[in-house]
Amino acid sequence: MDVNNTLQGFNTMAATFAADVDQAFWINFWISVVLGLSVIIPMFYFAWKYRASNVKNEDIKNITHNTPLEIAWTLIPTALLMVLFYYGYSSMKTLRTMPAESESIVVKVEGSKWKWRYEYPPNKNGFVHKLGGAYTKPILDENGKMIKKGTMGKSALYVPVDTNIILHMTAPVDDVIHAFFVPAFRMKEDVVPGRLTKQWFRADKVGEYEVECAEYCGTDHAYMYSRIVVLPKEKYEEWFQGTADTPEGDYANSGDALLQQHGCKSCHAVTEDKMLIGPTLKTRRLTKEQVLEVIHNGQDKLGYPMGAMPAGLATGKDAEEIAAFVAGGMKGEKPASFAACSSCHGEDGKGMGGVSPSLVHYDTNLLRNVFKHGKKGMIGTMPAYPYITDEEVEAIATYLDSLK
Amino acid sequence: MSKSYFDETHTAIGHPKSTFMQWMLTIDHKRIGLMYAAVMFAFFFVAVATAFLMRLELFAPGGQFIDGDTFNQAFTLHGVIMIFLFIVPGIPAVLGNIVMPLMIGAKDVSFPRLNWFTFWLYILGCIIALASLFTDAGFADTGWTFYAPYSITTDTNVVFTLVAAFVLGMASILTGLNFLVTIHRLRAPGMTFWKMPLFVWGIYATAWIQLLATPVVGITLILAIMEKYFGIGIFDPAKGGDPVLFEHLFWIYSHPAVYLMILPAFGVMSEIIPTFSRREVFGYRAIALSSASIAGIGYLVWGHHLYTSGMADIAKTIFSFLTFFVAIPTGIKFYDWIATMYKGKIILSTPMLWALGTIITFTIGGLTGVTIAMIGVDIHLQDTYYTVAHFHYAMLGGVVFLFFAGLHYWFPLVTGKMYNETHAKRAFYLQFVGFNLLWFPMFIAGYYGMPRRYFDYLPEFQIYHQVSFVGAVLFIAGLIYMFIVFFKGWKSGNPSGPNPWNATTLEWHMPSSPPPLENHSKVPYVDFNPYEYHHGEPVVKFDYATMKRID
Repeated sequence: MDVNNTLQGFNTMAATFAADVDQAFWINFWISVVLGLSVIIPMFYFAWKYRASNVKNEDIKNITHNTPLEIAWTLIPTALLMVLFYYGYSSMKTLRTMPAESESIVVKVEGSKWKWRYEYPPNKNGFVHKLGGAYTKPILDENGKMIKKGTMGKSALYVPVDTNIILHMTAPVDDVIHAFFVPAFRMKEDVVPGRLTKQWFRADKVGEYEVECAEYCGTDHAYMYSRIVVLPKEKYEEWFQGTADTPEGDYANSGDALLQQHGCKSCHAVTEDKMLIGPTLKTRRLTKEQVLEVIHNGQDKLGYPMGAMPAGLATGKDAEEIAAFVAGGMKGEKPASFAACSSCHGEDGKGMGGVSPSLVHYDTNLLRNVFKHGKKGMIGTMPAYPYITDEEVEAIATYLDSLK
Repeated sequence: MSKSYFDETHTAIGHPKSTFMQWMLTIDHKRIGLMYAAVMFAFFFVAVATAFLMRLELFAPGGQFIDGDTFNQAFTLHGVIMIFLFIVPGIPAVLGNIVMPLMIGAKDVSFPRLNWFTFWLYILGCIIALASLFTDAGFADTGWTFYAPYSITTDTNVVFTLVAAFVLGMASILTGLNFLVTIHRLRAPGMTFWKMPLFVWGIYATAWIQLLATPVVGITLILAIMEKYFGIGIFDPAKGGDPVLFEHLFWIYSHPAVYLMILPAFGVMSEIIPTFSRREVFGYRAIALSSASIAGIGYLVWGHHLYTSGMADIAKTIFSFLTFFVAIPTGIKFYDWIATMYKGKIILSTPMLWALGTIITFTIGGLTGVTIAMIGVDIHLQDTYYTVAHFHYAMLGGVVFLFFAGLHYWFPLVTGKMYNETHAKRAFYLQFVGFNLLWFPMFIAGYYGMPRRYFDYLPEFQIYHQVSFVGAVLFIAGLIYMFIVFFKGWKSGNPSGPNPWNATTLEWHMPSSPPPLENHSKVPYVDFNPYEYHHGEPVVKFDYATMKRID
């Protein structure tokens, strides 16, 4: 099966109960048409038949009651409305009657500002798939014309076809309410902080279906998409028993999704310029404290060929000056003491072709090294993430660049 | 020439000489109604402009003019103004104030000073509501529903909006109280409840909702403020609260509130249809009692806003079942109005055109409401454009259209002059076409899964947004056209005389046009039904100096 990034699903029905919901909708539609026309047709007819030019004053009749007619237009609509109530109720029943968990796959869903995350039960090797992340926004030119469509990125939920899936949904207690809405499945349920809500579905068509957040949740509410990828059973099984994130490598690498997935965001602010456990990734520039820290203590974990930077290359006021200059973005007058740095990092501070890191901002090279070796920071140690691939590093670097 | 209420007035304090101060301090119900109208329509246009900004942004996918946060503030501003500043005070504050005392033969409302105070409380509420536009943190971005925990955690200036909604709610309660007492105590002798015009019935049912339901939202807003600024954990799960509780409390008021909006509008319809059919209304008691029963049942259906909130299935079922019983009295009203046209003489003046147009738009708005009363279907359509289209068909195509109908109907009463009918009709057609073009595509977009409150959307939905945009342009053009017609009519229209429409109810039996300060010259004795026509002519005639019947 080709898994690609085309959007579909709004005009399709892909879950077993979607037909019930649609049936209820269309019964309602036709009953509404009948009821609506029973008002609107006589209105037009009377407005025309009894138009002022057509009626003599003596012919006006003050009819104020007609008991059989009144009973009819009370009881018939009531009966029709009860039919509608029944279909509303019965379609809810099919939507809300959960299958037994023993015959289903239970996936934990977490909605948070503004992404969806999924956690599967362990596979036979004990590996737990944790997927999800944010949607990559569309790219526009300066006139607001779309150059590149947004992509659902890696934020997909993979499920086998013709299998019961139960979603156990919640949101972190410090988050807000979201709603997990799959138009193609006709299903929706709020995801409430501090509560567990459940939905289930049984997809009957292989394909990809949009997930939208339907409960207003702030800035990127309109971008809180995800998707459900319905796979043939064998294909799902093959992926599920392995450790790869996606069944195929064809998903656009979304930097934000990657940061989310690897847990970077639990220590680093990404879109805001603030210090969490680690430094912000937004400005990608070292703070004065960080520079001072490296000057005083040296640095040997970046994996640059030049080797470890010894401690104490500059001291006292010199170190302060350098730190202020570097943290300020290498702008303004260069202090004389910078000479201590320029021999390795270059006159412009931009590093030496992968031999020593740039001081202006951290680049792909540096990111790769930090991921590979980890880094001892001012506050704690960032562990190594050796399994992150080069493509992923590129994606993260591109994404961080876009935030500057 | 006799003096009208424009020439002299009673004031709350003192005897100011300047015309301006006389208006500011007036306790005359007609003047207060007019001032409400001026302020409300000014805000109405602000909210329309905000809506147009959103339509403009949504013309194409992606962000063009404003960013997501501004968009979120825009729809909050639109909702807050339209709901709390415009449509909740709405017909009762303007038409209820001006017309209701005239209809029951009263000289004013029961508590004219309270009426004055209420108006200024309303103005205070408006100021607080909009003050946060000019503060650092910016206008609230919560949506007009203020759902917790979003409203508790957002950095924008929610407190202003919450306090404003509280103050405006207080104004609404006082209006309701004043009208209730007026209707109970100041009806002309002989006017039993079954002889009241149907508009008064609408106002009466509304007043009970204002009085009984509004305190709930007041309490809820106070709790939200206490939570946000004093850290009491009622709604925020991080503090051990329950966000769904907020939804329940909010809708316990806000659902009856939509009936609070529509019932006086139905009252306007019930005045216009018999007058322009030149015959007695069909099923007077059925229409009156259906208003009362909508008001009653309306308290018990709030849960239908919460089908996807995680509420128990049995609760959904009960709320759904009860909700269908709101549709029944509403349907009965519509059949009664249509039956009133049967064997009448239909005069298609502008108010009648608006009323008949509303029969179409509100029928669509009401029946699509039935769709989302069905639980299974609503689970799909909840929080989509389908719902947005539904309530705009019901609120704009129902309440506001009938408000406009009422403005056209009572314009000659209030101003003593007549607008240009030809232009007024053109403005109607323009708005009617624009309205349907604006909102109908949203039903389809919503059915296909376009969620509401989205600043950006997937390219699949572009066509619906673009058709909507064209409709919005036509609709707004029609609105401006209509207000120009009103303005010109007031400035240079022909004198209308006291009863230009050949109507029967008491407000058309004024000794002079526009009405004098203390309304009818004498309190009439009401021993007749409100819509008595014989061969197309009003049966009851008065000597306007003595208010004795001369027919």
